[in-house]
Amino acid sequence: MTLTKLTPTSGDLLLMVGTVKGAFIFLSNGARETFRMSGPHFPGQSVWSAAFIAPTRIVVGNKSEHWGAMVSRSDDFAASWTEPTEGNVKFPAGCGVSLNSIWTLETATALGPDVVLAGVDPAALFRSDDRAETFRLNDALFNHADRPKWNPGFGGLCLHSILVHPADPRRLYIAISSGGIYYSDDGGDSWNSCVNGLRVHPDVPGATLCPHKLRFDAENPSCMYLQNHPGIYRTNNEGRAWVSIESGLPSDFGFPLVTHPRRGGTLYTFPLTSDEFRVPPGGIPRVWRSRDSGASWEPLGRGLPSSEGFFTVLRDAFSVDSLEPAGLYFGTRGGQLYGSSDEGENWRAIAEFLPPILCVKAAVID
Amino acid sequence: MRVYIPSALRKWSGGRDIIELQPVSTPMTAAEVIELVACEYPGLRDRVLNEQGELRRHVNLFIDGENARFLGGLAALVGAESEMWIHPALSGG
Repeated sequence: MTLTKLTPTSGDLLLMVGTVKGAFIFLSNGARETFRMSGPHFPGQSVWSAAFIAPTRIVVGNKSEHWGAMVSRSDDFAASWTEPTEGNVKFPAGCGVSLNSIWTLETATALGPDVVLAGVDPAALFRSDDRAETFRLNDALFNHADRPKWNPGFGGLCLHSILVHPADPRRLYIAISSGGIYYSDDGGDSWNSCVNGLRVHPDVPGATLCPHKLRFDAENPSCMYLQNHPGIYRTNNEGRAWVSIESGLPSDFGFPLVTHPRRGGTLYTFPLTSDEFRVPPGGIPRVWRSRDSGASWEPLGRGLPSSEGFFTVLRDAFSVDSLEPAGLYFGTRGGQLYGSSDEGENWRAIAEFLPPILCVKAAVID
Repeated sequence: MRVYIPSALRKWSGGRDIIELQPVSTPMTAAEVIELVACEYPGLRDRVLNEQGELRRHVNLFIDGENARFLGGLAALVGAESEMWIHPALSGG
């Protein structure tokens, strides 16, 4: 194991990488030319989610196939970890539902300095007010009338996307695969579907909607982007209607989607051939970028394999940092971790032989 | 009554591989044994049982050499002189 002691300073970049066999933490300075790695942490466990809680806390959603899933934390940049004595993400006793895995962890400082939200499988939203030490279930979503219609996909019934409106923190969005997109105008006390304009899989009549990743536009939170199954969409009106923006892309299928941290209208996807063949079209992996809110697209592949690249990028395995220029990072199910420190123009492998990667999360140290 | 703790869980049993119990009355169910153990070692409960009180899918209990799944599961009886083993199942890839 490479349990390098990481000693970040202000302006450094932290990359938290979750794999099916543990977590790996990478550290670089703002230039992002070289990375130091620490890991694996939680060896043998799958790590589905991660988040950085400033100034020093790393949290992960780790899962032992034997002993269950929980949120664990480190306050010394992965030199040591605290696993909760008792499970800290639990459904109420007697409800008949038990936790499978923790798909996403999102800091939500708009809701409070210590707030962290968790999306889990089976689909539910949990909230922590103590920096991810304890969580409580959002009852309104758990008891939603639509729940019986939600269906698990191949990866489970996961709540994978959580957005908190930056100016109006009582406005929340979540996305469930397969279940749809829901918003709340009252801080999570009630939830309403917002899927007008999305199409379901044409071969599966009656199927529930299957969003894969939902993100805010960097400058206009009334605008969001969605990688759906199938299709890529934009809404300009807080989800009241969605319009397709997939024209110009080689495929409408994929999992991740990220947006630029500052520049409105700029988003990135990683298209896969189809639902039936989940590899890059032609075996040529490319990140596709739009700088006009999806009106047009361009492939970005300098430094990525030019052929025989048949890997998949999962929905939480693509992340963007907040440095200038913005850095982009994605991990593959083949265990490669790629990064770009110039907004996707040039790519290089940061690590090539990790276990299959489930999540990548970038954070800049204050 | 003895409960054998696998190495992966000894972090939560104070490093002990065997926990000796002297319950007030026996026999107890396997579920009751786990709850009794958890009184002193609370980290064990949620790792053996899920939040609905069910034995986790890839965890096995053996009571006097027999898999508890064939003895009534968590309702299987554990006697005063019995030994109960907690075992992670052989699984994965």
